[in-house]
Amino acid sequence: MNQTIKALMVPISEYATVNKDATLFEAVLALEKAQEKYDQTKFQHRAVLVLDKNNKVVGKLSQLNVLRALELESKKIDKIEEISQFCFGAKYIANQLEQSRVKGTSLKEICSKPSKIKVEKFMKQPEEYQYIEEETSLEVAIYQLLTGPYLSLLVVRKGEVVGVLRLTDVFLTVVQAMKENESTNKEKKG
Amino acid sequence: MLELERLYERIIQRTNINLRELGFGINPDEVQNLISLSQIIKFYAYYGITTQHPIDFQFKNSNLSGSYFLGKCKVTNSLLYKSDIRGDELKKKGDIFIYKNFTIPIKNNESIDIQDSMLIKTLVHNFSHDPETPEQFLIKDTVSLHCANIHGSTSRGCYLEPFATVDLTAMRDCVIGAFSYIQTGEINRMNIKPGTIWVRDPDSFNFLYRHPAKKLAEYINFQHDKLPTGKLIDFVVTRKEDFQVVFETINKAQTVSIPSSASLDRYAVTKSETRICENVMVAQRAYLQNVWLGKGANVQENCYIINSRLERYNVTAHGAKIVEADLGEGVFVGFNSFLRGQPNEQSSSRLTIGKGSIIMPHTIIDISDQLHIPDNSLVWGLIKNKKELETNSIPIKEVEKNVNGFSKGDLFFEGDGAAFIKAFKDRIQHILEANGAFYDGKNNKGHAQKNQNMSFNTIQPYSEGDYKGLYPTITIQP
Repeated sequence: MNQTIKALMVPISEYATVNKDATLFEAVLALEKAQEKYDQTKFQHRAVLVLDKNNKVVGKLSQLNVLRALELESKKIDKIEEISQFCFGAKYIANQLEQSRVKGTSLKEICSKPSKIKVEKFMKQPEEYQYIEEETSLEVAIYQLLTGPYLSLLVVRKGEVVGVLRLTDVFLTVVQAMKENESTNKEKKG
Repeated sequence: MLELERLYERIIQRTNINLRELGFGINPDEVQNLISLSQIIKFYAYYGITTQHPIDFQFKNSNLSGSYFLGKCKVTNSLLYKSDIRGDELKKKGDIFIYKNFTIPIKNNESIDIQDSMLIKTLVHNFSHDPETPEQFLIKDTVSLHCANIHGSTSRGCYLEPFATVDLTAMRDCVIGAFSYIQTGEINRMNIKPGTIWVRDPDSFNFLYRHPAKKLAEYINFQHDKLPTGKLIDFVVTRKEDFQVVFETINKAQTVSIPSSASLDRYAVTKSETRICENVMVAQRAYLQNVWLGKGANVQENCYIINSRLERYNVTAHGAKIVEADLGEGVFVGFNSFLRGQPNEQSSSRLTIGKGSIIMPHTIIDISDQLHIPDNSLVWGLIKNKKELETNSIPIKEVEKNVNGFSKGDLFFEGDGAAFIKAFKDRIQHILEANGAFYDGKNNKGHAQKNQNMSFNTIQPYSEGDYKGLYPTITIQP
């Protein structure tokens, strides 16, 4: 496996990006717009990169981060989320969250306040293990995805983020390799 | 004092090494603000002599000022200041220690083994509940501060802030915040915020309450570079002189008449009219002022009971304070709880607690108007009035019916409510038995009967030179 990840990554120019001063609503619009532009035959983007005024990547906003933003309205919910470190079961926590919701509140109402808050509040800052050099082999990239908690890695060249390596693209490459291998074996037998 | 200073720095460093992965560091200069070395060399240490417990003390390269030892204890490379190391519940050779599905035979008398640690005004009691070291109650590389309780809990590389309690739990590399109570069996690499009350049996239940930070700070506020402040500290400090008299008097006359089946420790303070009934146990450093203690009640170390009446079979756990209150039969008041009513003259605002109630450890009830807690209630949290009592209490029967869990106010409870209540009631029963509450003149002896007629010896450190403040190596055996 001597393929590098350079050919597999999504260039940052094709990825959804927003400035860190943007609101959550502006971020999801940017994601929608990037998805419309992106090659429809490929998997859609699931995150937005957040840039500072020098266009350096300072954070990432995933779909889960957007959903989590909706939870921030209730102090009680904050407390419930904090208790996960004290060995409470997922089912108990889910029940507590359900009970703490304001009954009869529509999704529109739940979204109204968080959508006006700056994206900086909800984004996740990239961690050291989330970066990968663009000349890294696919084999090493697979290992990094397997051993870390990330569904995508930020590809860097000379310290600058130049693209995103997504698990889905790596997976498709592996599937393609399997197919080619099977087809070669059949030809040999035939 | 050169060697004492070296020892102090070594202990802080060892604790910091253990806590480095939590990103937690103790600044030696800051800890010096909490307790100065020149202060801790002033006091003698003392140990109890009784035929009821093994006499086996070993002290090496340590300062022990103002500390008390009972039972089998070993202290090495440590600083202990006004701490109680009470080994009267240690396992004995031939005992069987049951831990879950393991039946563990005890081959040697268990020993409290304190190594490379600094304990400030800390209580160490009960026996090791760590099945990995059944004959060694180990406290190592640990710093614990004012009024902390290490109860049946082994500790390695931990930092306990003031008024923290760790109960029946093996802990390793943890920070336990001020006024937190932890009873979870085992705890590793956690930084527990102040005011966390966490009681968990992994097989049955999980109880978690966290005191609101701002309200708690009114009672106990701890910044790492300053002495703790707050109403709890004020309460203790204003009664400090009464203890000084007790500790400075060599032959103290008994001021209260007590039945032959009860014990009132010679290092307890008793003031005004105090009535002690049969089978009562009052531990050292307890403070009683105008108190009525019913049959089999027990008042443990660092408890203060003032202008109050406790009916029979009350348990007041280590460090609890009860003021202007009337407690019905069989009330349990957990560790470090602070229950304060107001005198009758001030609008009749006493606190009354109905029989069979369980006041969770580290509960604060501080009222200005009369408050009555119904019989058989479970109470927790910080309560100043009737409305807050409603949020922070529940009938025990309701808890027992609960099979999946509930939440109320800031309390989260998951699991089997009946198992939770049973665990508490079994524990209360054990405490009463261990303290001799059910002694009938022949059977069921406990601490109240066994700890009578105890003699005390004192020991002193070097008074000058490089070893000033350190005690010489001492081995005391029968």
